[in-house]
Amino acid sequence: MSNQNLNIRKEPPTYQASNDVKHKMKVEQKVNQKSTSGIAIQIENLSKSFGDINVLENLNLDIKPGSFVAIVGRSGCGKSTLLRLISGLDQANVGSIYYDGNQHNSINGDARFMFQESRLLPWQSVINNVRLGLKKAEFPKALNALKQVGLEARADVWPSVLSGGQRQRVALARSLVHEPRLLLLDEPLGALDALTRIEMQNLIERLWRELGFTAILVTHDIFEAVALADRVILLNEGKVDLDINIDIPRPRQRSDVELNRLAEEILQRILTRPVTS
Amino acid sequence: MSQRSHYELPIWLNWIKDASGWLLPILLIAFWDIAARNGWITSKILPAPSDIVHAAINLSLSGEIFKNILISTKRAAGGLLIGGSIGLVLGLINGIFRPADRYLDTTIQMIRNVPHLALIPLVIIWFGIGEEGKVFLVALGVFFPIYANTHHGIKMADPQLLEMGRVYDLNHWQLFTQIIFPSALPSILVGLRYALGFMWLTLIVAETIATTSGIGYMAMNAREFMQTDVVVLAILIYALLGKLADTAAHFLELKLLQWHPNFRHS
Repeated sequence: MSNQNLNIRKEPPTYQASNDVKHKMKVEQKVNQKSTSGIAIQIENLSKSFGDINVLENLNLDIKPGSFVAIVGRSGCGKSTLLRLISGLDQANVGSIYYDGNQHNSINGDARFMFQESRLLPWQSVINNVRLGLKKAEFPKALNALKQVGLEARADVWPSVLSGGQRQRVALARSLVHEPRLLLLDEPLGALDALTRIEMQNLIERLWRELGFTAILVTHDIFEAVALADRVILLNEGKVDLDINIDIPRPRQRSDVELNRLAEEILQRILTRPVTS
Repeated sequence: MSQRSHYELPIWLNWIKDASGWLLPILLIAFWDIAARNGWITSKILPAPSDIVHAAINLSLSGEIFKNILISTKRAAGGLLIGGSIGLVLGLINGIFRPADRYLDTTIQMIRNVPHLALIPLVIIWFGIGEEGKVFLVALGVFFPIYANTHHGIKMADPQLLEMGRVYDLNHWQLFTQIIFPSALPSILVGLRYALGFMWLTLIVAETIATTSGIGYMAMNAREFMQTDVVVLAILIYALLGKLADTAAHFLELKLLQWHPNFRHS
């Protein structure tokens, strides 16, 4: 028994974790917790253009609280723009975005954004980067967040001595320390090597399951989208081209037949679309 | 692991390595001394190093040298403080606020193109040969390098970091203290090092033209009596003070820019 516990603790988020019944129950409990802490998002008639180029056209989406949604598509399909609009970093030309039914206009504490670059302050130590925007009384939270990403031992070093993957883990800790109800991820793993990517995917999935926020991930890696998300949305020329639910139970095996079939299906769909622009 | 420990130099070789920057000056001085002693150079052109040491001892015993160094240092520091802080504040304001930049930058760039030492006749009319004129000239000399580098440093602040600051709900003051100012600091310190050069340059010229005290005065006074040893001593003191100021600025860089890979000492 104790051996099993140890096993679970050491590698809970990995795809090869056991199918133990107790483990499943634990996950289900967490799923229930989620619905209370994640944000529900409604997007209505959203359009955005830069000059005469329409990046998004009359987009409508409903995102369930606590769900993990991946947005994929060719570069220039509008996926990053959509994420920035959802966050409130940019404003739409037409249409509205609602957080839990309330219209959302500018970035606030409910949502946190992870960029492709870590965007750590080079002149602050790792721990002070995580403390950014916290009040003094909340400083102990920063160390906890670093523990969650497994970097508490590097709290006092400068970001410049960390590897790319470690920097993104610090950026993740910095996002999570504010206990966001919505985490927006703009290709945060795009610049990492394959092995680090898998580790980061596991970490993000584990923390999402533990903390119950709504997650929206923009990625160009179809397999990553299918492996992590409950739902994959394929954008093409500013419109939803494909919107499929991924019902594969977690923890997911990377070798899962259904998972690979879905990834292939989405990839084929992208490849059959003509490249414009 | 221990097998791979790298080859270690003997201690005396390490000392030579550390002091290698001093090797050339020492050789030059030795050659100079030999040349002066053998009469290849007359002492009216260039006195022997030993004569200069002699002059330094005499002037130290009378206390005159310290009095003059103190006065010159006060002028330099006063000018740096006044001109540097005006340059820093204006650089920050013009770097951050676009309207201020539009109204002020053109004027400042115009004044910058006037060589400030050309103002000496005017400064003498305005301030006489008192302290104010020299401090004014030094302040003017250090203002521009600090202003220009502060302005440039602020403009170089990474827009990606500023956007990140917005995501984290930082207010304007926090954006300034956490992101904008630290971004500009390396550039501001470069400005400071340039300013220190201008500071001594300005002071040397100002002190040789209109003054009754200071190192420059000491040199000009000695010139009238053909005391080349004192003249050379004054030049050496300027060099030493300049080097000291630069070392202090470099130390400040090491201290404040520890995060920067280029300034990290292992």
